[in-house]
This record gives sequence, C-alpha cells and structure tokens, in this order.
Amino acid sequence: MTHQLKDGGQVLNVGMLARVEGEGGMHIEIRDRQVVDVKLNIFEPPRFYEGFLRGRKYTEPPDITARICGICPVAYQSASTEAMETICGVTTTDAIQDMRRLLYCGEWIESHALHIFMLHAPDFLGYESVIEMAKTHGDVVKMALRLKKAGNDLMEVVGGRAIHPVNVKVGGFYRMPTVAELQGLRPDLERGLEDALAAVELVAGFDFPDMEQTYTYVSLRHPQWYPLERGTEVVASNGTRFPVAEIASHIKEFHVEHSNALHATFDGGMYFVGPLARYSNSFDQLSSRCQEAALAAGLAETCRNPFKSIIVRCVELAYAFEEALRIIDGWTDGHPPSVPVEPRAGEGVGASEAPRGTIWHRYRIDADGIIEDAQIVPPTSQNQASIEHDLRTAAQQWVDLDDHTLTHRCEEAIRNYDPCISCATHFLDLRVERS
Amino acid sequence: MSARDVIVIGLGSPDRGDDAIGEVVADRIRAAFGGMVTVTTREDPTALVHTWEGKRAAVVVDAVMSGRNPGTVRVMEAGAKAPPLPTHAFTASGRGGSHAFGLAGAVELSRALDTLPERVAIVGVEAGTFAYGHLSVPVREHIDAAVAAVADVLAQEGIKEESCVSEPSPR
Repeated sequence: MTHQLKDGGQVLNVGMLARVEGEGGMHIEIRDRQVVDVKLNIFEPPRFYEGFLRGRKYTEPPDITARICGICPVAYQSASTEAMETICGVTTTDAIQDMRRLLYCGEWIESHALHIFMLHAPDFLGYESVIEMAKTHGDVVKMALRLKKAGNDLMEVVGGRAIHPVNVKVGGFYRMPTVAELQGLRPDLERGLEDALAAVELVAGFDFPDMEQTYTYVSLRHPQWYPLERGTEVVASNGTRFPVAEIASHIKEFHVEHSNALHATFDGGMYFVGPLARYSNSFDQLSSRCQEAALAAGLAETCRNPFKSIIVRCVELAYAFEEALRIIDGWTDGHPPSVPVEPRAGEGVGASEAPRGTIWHRYRIDADGIIEDAQIVPPTSQNQASIEHDLRTAAQQWVDLDDHTLTHRCEEAIRNYDPCISCATHFLDLRVERS
Repeated sequence: MSARDVIVIGLGSPDRGDDAIGEVVADRIRAAFGGMVTVTTREDPTALVHTWEGKRAAVVVDAVMSGRNPGTVRVMEAGAKAPPLPTHAFTASGRGGSHAFGLAGAVELSRALDTLPERVAIVGVEAGTFAYGHLSVPVREHIDAAVAAVADVLAQEGIKEESCVSEPSPR
C-alpha cells in the first residue's frame, strides 16, 4: 500500500511480510534518493525465558528452552545440555554425541527444506506463496515435502516427537533408538540425499541480485567435522578464534530503543551468523561430494551474496543427509543412553549451530543445581544489525526501482536470513518512507 | 466405500492447552472404533499433505479460534469438492503452524498438487487457551460432542463395525 505524504514523499506499507515467522516492523526512510534510516522494529514483548529459568533445576533447560521455537528446538536443547555438562564437569560418550548430531541432522533437514522451498524459492520463481508455486512446480514442491517428511521422521525416531523433542536430557537421552528403527529411515534418507543434491543444481539456476556482505562471519568450529551440534572454537572470518567457553567475553548484547530483542556486537563490531558464515568458515570440512556440488553450482569457497544463501542451505541440506546416513550406518545397539550428571556450583557456556546460525547459552548454577543466572542468545537476534545493514544496502542499491519492486526486494533481503522471528516477534510491518 | 479410504487425523500440540483436543479426540476414536478406521495424530501441518494423500476422505480434528464460546464444535468441509479456504491469514501470519504454514495452507497446497482427498471434514473445537498445560474446562466438557461429530462423519462415509483396516497407521 502506498501513501502520499504532505511533503510529496511516500510511505509504502506492507501489512504482513509473508513467509517468515514472527512479528516485527520495518521502517525505511528515503530522502532525496538517499536511504537515511533503517530500523528493524521488534515489538513483541520480551518472553522472559531467562527469567523463568532462574530458580529452576539444572536438568530443566533442555525441555523449557525447546519450547522457545517449534522449528529449531534441538538447537536450544543442544546448547543447554552442553552448558550444564560443562559446568558439572561431565564428558558424555561418543555414542551420545553421535546421537545428538543425528537428532540435529533431523532439525536441519526439517528447517532447511521448509525455508528453501516453501518460504524462499517463491521469491526467485516469482510467486506469492508455495501454494501458487505448486500449481506450476508441483514436482519441486512434492520433493520439498518428501525432504521435510524425512526430517520429521528422523526427529520422531530419535527425539520422540517431530516438534519439541522429548527424548533429550542433560547427560544424553532417555532412550536410544535401535539399529532396526534407524535402518527403517534409511531408504527415505538415501532418497533425501539425492533430492538435496538435485536441489543444489536446481536453485543454482535462479537469478540472483548482485549484493555483497562485508561484515565478519562468525561460526563454531570443530576439529573433526562441519559445525552442527557443537564446536570447540568460535572462528571469525577476520581471523579471530577462541574457545567456545570465551564467547561471552567477545559477544556483547545491548538494547536498542526500537527492538525488544537484544542486538549484539562481536568484539565491538557488526557480525553475521548463519549458513553463509558456516560455509565460508568451514568449507574445508564439508564432504567432497558437497564441496563439488557447491562449486558446480557456481559458489566459491566463500559466499558473500546473501541472496545465494539458498544455494548454501541446499548444500547443507545434502550434508545433513550424508551425516545422518553415516551415523546410522555406524550405529550399534546397547549404548547407555545417558551418563550421570551431578550438580556442582559454577558457570558455563554451550553453543550449537541452529539452522539459521550460532546459538549460545550461558548458565550459572549453585551447588544444588539451582539456576542462578541464564542467558540465551539466539541467531536471529544476533543478526538484527546485519539484517538492517542488508536492508540499507538493498534499499540504496535499488533506490530507483518502483515502490512495489523495492519493497519486495527488501522483503527478500529479510527472507535471506530465514529469520526465526518467533524467537522474538510474530509480525512484520514493512514501511518505506520517501520524500 | 472402504474404511481403508478414510483417515482420522488429530492435529495439534498435546502440550498447549486446548490445542491437545485433536489428539484427545483421536485417542477416543481409536478406542471406540478399534482397527475399523485409520487414526493418527500430527503436530506439524505440513505433514498433513502426505498423511491424507491417497485417501478419499479425511477427518481432521483441530482447535480453532473463531470468536465462539470455548468448546463449540463445528464441522467444516474443505475437500476437493469444497471451495478453496482463505489461506492468506494462515500462510502469512505465522499463526497457523511452524513457520507460517497451517491447516488451510495444507489443504490448499494439496489442492494445488491435485492430491487433496475428495472430502476433508474439519472438526473444529473452539479453543479457550493455548497456554502450556491441559485442556480448559469448557473444551474438556465438549470432548464427547467432538467425538460424536467425528463419528457422524464416519457414519456418512459408511464406516461400519464389520469393516476393518489392517494396515498400520502411516507415519
């Protein structure tokens, strides 16, 4: 909707931004063809999860924090279990870590398949929604639903439920799946890998606007594998690297007036977490097949064009299927599902790579395991500043487009992030003001 | 009409107050009809597209919010023969399910893919709360009415005691 201002300028008002989850507002102000102000307004009231956790037992965060989001609950469970185990001085078994990684593969598959095809692809193919897209790209949508189902099934077998898994605890799991249960998933996972590799090729054919991100890419790093359920270090594209335990001294949250979600800086500067950061910081840890697929799709070993995040997500989707198959093929029955974790006073951090970027939790507990302090830092809140930066860049770069096209381009710039705004908001009201 | 062609789906989160009505009614139908009709539950609306594919009729039980009194039971028709549902509010607001995809989105996506059952009867139970916890008292008092509504639809589809479905519930 376009409104004429008294000074001759214009306000473009999009009541709802489709294909994201969450509520927020966007204000873009243009004067004399110059973008003078951009704000991502997150106005949903704070959800007080960190407050809820104080006074609760150290065993409760995996179940409580999983409820923060229906699409990335495993990210919260992984970060919280790792933090508590770190505080309590417990190291779990390789089998437990494998199963955590397998569960996380399910979440990546669910989340990436949903965003790639049902939320993001319509932007490139010129449709308002996946429903419209299905009328002419039925095979693609059916493939997307197959992929999503494979992720859901994996989550159900390992986590007990497709949404908000209930099988995760501090120290491991309540029950380990059997070889027979996991092997039952294999046919769909094999087909999923083929589908995902085909998807890399498919999305590589989309037209991508030219745009480059310049800020620091931050992600986890593990010596053995591409970052997923945990890392040992935090690495940044500017060469900075440090143990995960030190993350709170490098990332500082702060409040801005126009958002109820805290912004954050990395060593005092703007940064980005998410698939592009993981890919660019850890390309060497992808499988050779995924590396080849990425390069064949036209990506370099780093990717700075946020619109091409859809290709990177497809590469990561294929990788998640590969990892799931690898873990299932190596699985044997009889592993203890958990290790005992006795409380001890202390403070610690856990971090994992949610589908949309690094998430970290910091807790302090007393000798009885009662939580005295909690800090939860999800990826979308960390990315608010870079979203605003991308919007400023996009609005300025395409300032001469008509209002409708510019507005749509700005919406696309937001969807590049796959924002899990439900962690902070539920509604996006996009306004572009011109004069 | 074979009972094999019909499926009952309870939709919703069992943890979130009246959103559990889908699962509660599905359990009652499963107990009442035994193996005579396929009964399953889903939390993720995107899973509906696969779940009802290939069926002639589906009965979906879900919590709804329409401004009526909590516990009110309504049956809405949304199959291939019924007019399209207004999907915009579901697909755009994010209130319809994980990542902005709800029941209406699943119906219309199936319609676009030409996999929508001929009949989709939505048994909607007006919700009073979606807060973490159990069913509200008004909804709990109308469980029987919701079960009866599902049974009515099944009767219309000719589900008789002697018919039998031996296949396991689909994932």
